[in-house]
Amino acid sequence: MDPIQEQKLLLTRRSFFSSSAGLGITALATLFSKDAQAGTGLPGLPHFAPKAKRVIYLFQHGAPSQLDLFDYKPQLQSQHGKDLPESVRMGQRLTGMTAYQSNFPTANSIFRFNQHGQSGTWLSELLPCTGKVADDLCLVKSMRTEAINHDPAVTFFQTGFQLAGRPSIGAWIAYGLGSENQDLPAFVVMVSQGSGSSQALADRQWGSGFLPTKYQGVKFRSGSDPVLYLSNPVGYSTLARRRFLDDLARLNDLQLKDYQDPEIATRIAQYEMAFRMQSSVPELADLSKEPEAVFEMYGPDSRKPGSYAANCILARRLAERGVRFIQLFHRGWDQHNNLPKEIRGQCLQTDQPSAALIQDLKQRGMLGDTLVIWSGEFGRTVYSQGALTEDNYGRDHHPRCFSLWMAGGGIKGGITYGETDDFSYNIVKNPTDVHDLHATIMHCLGIDHTKLTYKFQGRHFRLTDVQGNVLRPILV
Amino acid sequence: MAARFRTVRVFLMRLVVCLFAVIACIRNSPAADLTIEFNRDIRPILSDRCLHCHGTDATAKGISLRLDSEAAAVADLGEGRRAVAPGDPASSEMVRRITATDEALRMPPAYSGLQLTPGEIDRIRTWIAQGAKWQSHWSFIAPKRRPLPAVKDGTWPRNAIDYFILERLQQEGLSPSPEASRETLARRVSLDLTGLPPTPAEIDAFLKDTSPNAYERVVDRLLASPRYGERMAARWLDAARYADSNGYQYDGERVMWRWRDWVIDAFNRNQPFDQFTLEQIAGDLLPHATLEQRIATGFNRNHRANTEDGIIPEEYAVEYVVDRVETTSTVFLGLTLGCARCHNHKYDPFSQKEFYQIFAYFNNVPELGRAMKYGNSPPLVPAPTLEQQQKLKVLENQIQAVEEFLKQHGPSIEKAQNAWECEIAQHNELRYWAPHAGLEAAFPFDSEPETPNPGGALPLVPGRISRAASFDGSAFFDAGEIAGFDIEDRFTLTAWVYSETTPDGSIVTRMVDEPKGRGYGVHLNQGKVHVNLTSVWEDDAIRLETEEGLAPRQWHHLAVTYSGSRMAEGVRVFMDGQPAKVKVQLDTLYRPFRNAGKAFKDPLRIGSGWGPERRFRGLIDDVRIYGRILNPEEISALACGESLNEMARKPAGQRSQIEQSQLRWAFLENAAPAQIQEAWKRLVAIGQEKEKLERTFPTVMVMAERPTSRDTFLLVRGAYDKPGDRVTPGVPSVLPPLRAGVPNNRLGFAKWLIDPQNPLTARVTVNRFWQMFFGTGLVKTTEDFGLQGEWPSHLELLDWLATEFIRSGWDVKAIQKLMLMSATYRQSSKATPDLLQKDPENRLLARAPRFRLPAEIVRDQALFAAGLLVERIGGPSVKPYQPAGLWEELTMQGLNYEQSKGPDLYRRSLYTFWKRTVAPPMMANFDSAMRESCVVRETRTNTPLQALNLMNDVTFLEAARSIGQRMVKEGGSSATSRLRYGFRLVAGRAPSAADEQILRKNLQYHLDYFSDHADQVKAFLAQGEAAVDSNLNPPELAAYASVASLLLNLDEAVTKQ
Repeated sequence: MDPIQEQKLLLTRRSFFSSSAGLGITALATLFSKDAQAGTGLPGLPHFAPKAKRVIYLFQHGAPSQLDLFDYKPQLQSQHGKDLPESVRMGQRLTGMTAYQSNFPTANSIFRFNQHGQSGTWLSELLPCTGKVADDLCLVKSMRTEAINHDPAVTFFQTGFQLAGRPSIGAWIAYGLGSENQDLPAFVVMVSQGSGSSQALADRQWGSGFLPTKYQGVKFRSGSDPVLYLSNPVGYSTLARRRFLDDLARLNDLQLKDYQDPEIATRIAQYEMAFRMQSSVPELADLSKEPEAVFEMYGPDSRKPGSYAANCILARRLAERGVRFIQLFHRGWDQHNNLPKEIRGQCLQTDQPSAALIQDLKQRGMLGDTLVIWSGEFGRTVYSQGALTEDNYGRDHHPRCFSLWMAGGGIKGGITYGETDDFSYNIVKNPTDVHDLHATIMHCLGIDHTKLTYKFQGRHFRLTDVQGNVLRPILV
Repeated sequence: MAARFRTVRVFLMRLVVCLFAVIACIRNSPAADLTIEFNRDIRPILSDRCLHCHGTDATAKGISLRLDSEAAAVADLGEGRRAVAPGDPASSEMVRRITATDEALRMPPAYSGLQLTPGEIDRIRTWIAQGAKWQSHWSFIAPKRRPLPAVKDGTWPRNAIDYFILERLQQEGLSPSPEASRETLARRVSLDLTGLPPTPAEIDAFLKDTSPNAYERVVDRLLASPRYGERMAARWLDAARYADSNGYQYDGERVMWRWRDWVIDAFNRNQPFDQFTLEQIAGDLLPHATLEQRIATGFNRNHRANTEDGIIPEEYAVEYVVDRVETTSTVFLGLTLGCARCHNHKYDPFSQKEFYQIFAYFNNVPELGRAMKYGNSPPLVPAPTLEQQQKLKVLENQIQAVEEFLKQHGPSIEKAQNAWECEIAQHNELRYWAPHAGLEAAFPFDSEPETPNPGGALPLVPGRISRAASFDGSAFFDAGEIAGFDIEDRFTLTAWVYSETTPDGSIVTRMVDEPKGRGYGVHLNQGKVHVNLTSVWEDDAIRLETEEGLAPRQWHHLAVTYSGSRMAEGVRVFMDGQPAKVKVQLDTLYRPFRNAGKAFKDPLRIGSGWGPERRFRGLIDDVRIYGRILNPEEISALACGESLNEMARKPAGQRSQIEQSQLRWAFLENAAPAQIQEAWKRLVAIGQEKEKLERTFPTVMVMAERPTSRDTFLLVRGAYDKPGDRVTPGVPSVLPPLRAGVPNNRLGFAKWLIDPQNPLTARVTVNRFWQMFFGTGLVKTTEDFGLQGEWPSHLELLDWLATEFIRSGWDVKAIQKLMLMSATYRQSSKATPDLLQKDPENRLLARAPRFRLPAEIVRDQALFAAGLLVERIGGPSVKPYQPAGLWEELTMQGLNYEQSKGPDLYRRSLYTFWKRTVAPPMMANFDSAMRESCVVRETRTNTPLQALNLMNDVTFLEAARSIGQRMVKEGGSSATSRLRYGFRLVAGRAPSAADEQILRKNLQYHLDYFSDHADQVKAFLAQGEAAVDSNLNPPELAAYASVASLLLNLDEAVTKQ
């Protein structure tokens, strides 16, 4: 429709919506400032009462082996070293890294599995701390993905599509729900380095795609500038910055009077937000006032800035402050070779802090409305990549099944969902797609995933594309 | 603070009052008065709410009603029911269904999540009542040039544009704004055309120019500036998804800047846009394509390319072609053809088959699905810069001159050579000729080595030439750490070999001594020659073998050359001087042998490599290693293995060609008269210099065609491994066909794009120019001119501009000048509450646009005002300041950001190295296109991260300090004059009295602050690498730097107003 006519109609329609009291100032500010903060979500959202107010997503980057952590396969003991039966593999595509391997020796995990909690959830000995919170977790063993390589697979998990260009899940949530804290971004990302083989990450994994850039994830880093360009230059005090901003606002205000452009008012407001971030972010990132017990709970790494453990504490602090979508990326899970040694190192870094986060949230009464997710981008093969020896093996990419866990925010604890075959090669029960996971996350947040759309290139895009089913059985 | 917010509040309150006035006014105008126009008012509703189901692929979904054509919409659906009964809304099934109260009947269905508003229902009803007149989609019909509309105020329009704008304003009861001040205009037009602000001197000159065409002179000057090409190129790079890295995983570097520089140059020389298009889409297919025309085709190689180990190449080969179709259709046609990849387009009349027909035009490139991890992937061309081309020409001329000289002396050389041949024919001591140039090492095995060979004892026995080394299957020759060639080096390895049994084992290697080891090697496998170049077996390696094998019990000459191309086609094997046929077994070499810190320690080995099992048994003689590619003649000479003496003894008539050549070369090298020898040496030396120069040429990835064309299939649901029917190249049927006589290939497609009959290309292009200057296109959806695209704000103006563009011969500068010369453009951008109310997005242009500058201009302007900008057009991309650690945190393989030094810190932002996975953070903060895929719509947000960026990024702090320095040194002696100067440098205008008052107080605050914090001044001033003038008083400089930083943060500094 003609844009001007549309504007006329918009005004007319607004007159219907507004009561006799007329439009509020806030509504007007939103109407005339195209760049209202990410703070306000979309009207009509959430679509229904949410169970979760926020999400903490612990992304294990590189694809952790489900066979050595979650998907217990005692039958493999007898298969160890034997070629993977063709009846299992059924000619499925393999990556170019093992497609030409002459044989596919089945590799039983060298790690012991034990049952944990009331639920009796089986977990590998690498996850003793996770075992202690097993009754809070919903273990999904039947995840599958379409992608077979890291970049497309992570992109798929993050954006619902294998190729770059679409908004990340956090950006969608920020767009839909906004932030609960006007001094912090709605979507925060933190990256930590693992001890195992790492894959490359990319800023676009938390990008806003075709959504306005204000919805993109803001990366928090360790060090003096948790957010890029946050700190004033050396020698320039907060007081001086305050004065700077006051005079800047005075000058901008002169311009606003002259030009009457609402964008100027928005800019003034953004500088104020920046100033507030200059105090709120360092306060948030400063763990020094956390009690000793917290560090003990999260483990020795938690005193090291930038570690996964420290980021887990930060995640809790962000959650406390109303940040909507908090996403951690821990690298180093790409165990093509030397899996036993490398995965042990990875688990030493992540097991305790991940479990501590659950306990911590629970103690603070926040687990009920915080959805926590622990997942990689795909699974790993039951057969060994490269030589299989008594105490060493590697595993290639396996998109056909893998495991993740969810906890809190509307998810039933102490349950296991989905099953794989005896080789953890194919799914035999409740196959779950990435779109289903997305639909479920959104559902917990009170969003109907089919209704959160954005028109781009003429199409109403959504995170779940044309798919996605909410995993009702795992909901509280 | 409170005062400021009060102002905003007062302003908003005023808006509220006005709003009610307007609403009252609109309410009074009954909607029924409007004549409904299908394309404007109805089609967007159908497209957005109905066609998803009732569109082109309705039948496939089992839905009988289609609403994508008039015939279908008015057709009898049985029992006399019609979806649309023209003139009769009451009996139109459509109206019944969209107004149904029963949810089960109501359209659109609830599950679709779509709804019609009461206004939209009303409009549909009115449209049917008015006769349900249907129209073809506007953008698929060729633009018509309509006469200029009549306007009431004939004095305002300056050119055609203004008539259309004014006509619409009059319809809406609005009038244009007064012309902007000259200061404002100077800055506006300078930023628009060059991406840089005017200098105070340029502003002064314009202010003083009393001639009636003063403004036009400014515009002409800016259009002629070389900065113009840089400014225009910036947007084109966004559209062309240009970047300096591959975009996936490692995200290794690629080299496409020669293409980027071609774009800058094309804009600067005002290449007509049709030619600009033709060369980028199909320059390689033009008759006698020039190097520049081939470089232009880099446009469609700028897409991302996956290099990850283990990907399925076919999958990505499809993605590259899809990207080309999507980019080309978005940029030139404004169409979202990508939507038809998996199924028929939901909204536009394009079938999935038609998508693959266009796909077919771009599906014939001899490319790799899995691209090179580092550097360019084929097809590519060496693309010397102009400077390099000139150097090359000089060398070629020199070579020609020496050759001419030798030719002139031909008879005397002949005579002297004959005498020399007679002489050496008498000699008993045999002498051999071999090429000298580029020889890295030679192992004749004629005498015992001076130091013992670490690889064991190798007896010397009679060989092919004098003596040879005898290998027993365990000892080998350790030549030390020489010949450390890598995958981009050129080299040649030659040897004589002999074995009593079928020759088997390693001959010459520089590799980790184990099977499949990293490095290079020439081996024999049951007589067949194997060549391996391995980074990681077998993902990352070249391996080939000859079809024929070497025979036992005879001497064979072996030569292998490698061109550094990283491709198997760059390897040549010669057996006994003849090129051998080879079978390529692996052709995926991506990484250098010495990557990732795995330093290479193994020596060059003769008779070994690939582990102890593969050691050679037999004789090896005269091993030679060259750091260049020997030509086939030289290899023949080596394989000839005959002494010069023997050759000289033969009568000239009985000598072979290669014997003749060898005698000639040997004579010229050693025995010719001094003057001739000198000339020959020079010829060889220049030849080597030329080769050296050629090795420095950057390459650029280009389009090319495979010798035999590849079949294209429709891909079911878009999947690479689900081919459906075979399709032939073709253009969509809803658009005009290819012109008769045009070839049905990529060249024909390019010509179709620029055919004046094509209804889209000119419109889409002028619309993008409009967007650049006015902030929003006449069609706001610059990327979508299809049914879901937005209706143009001024269709007749768009069509007038499109036809004018074609009429002018696609003259880019001329059409842009027209826009900038218009009264519309020259208006003031000051708004009024009334205008904000009626037209908040300023689509009617009753005022000039006012919007934030693009990312690159925000930075370039600061550097320019600071006097730091280093203006040099083109060249490799540079790495200015960026916070430490950004690459390291996300990448692998030690790809760290190595910040540039010196001048390269201050180049214009379009030269900033663009790593796709970790984009330059300042550019990302300011809404730059991310270069992952084609982006043509300019977007602007307003965020706190931008505020932090401008306040605290070293780039802007260093610029502020330099501006502060300029204020003190160039701004006169008083604080007032200095503040005025600084203000003008940044904002391009003189400060108002109120501005000045605030600035003076701010300066005083900072003077006091820094004298109170004297110990902090030095640290505060230490920003960036640019020198701090030590003659200035540091606290004073710090205060001016702070004020300058304030100026750079002003809303108007980052805004074009």
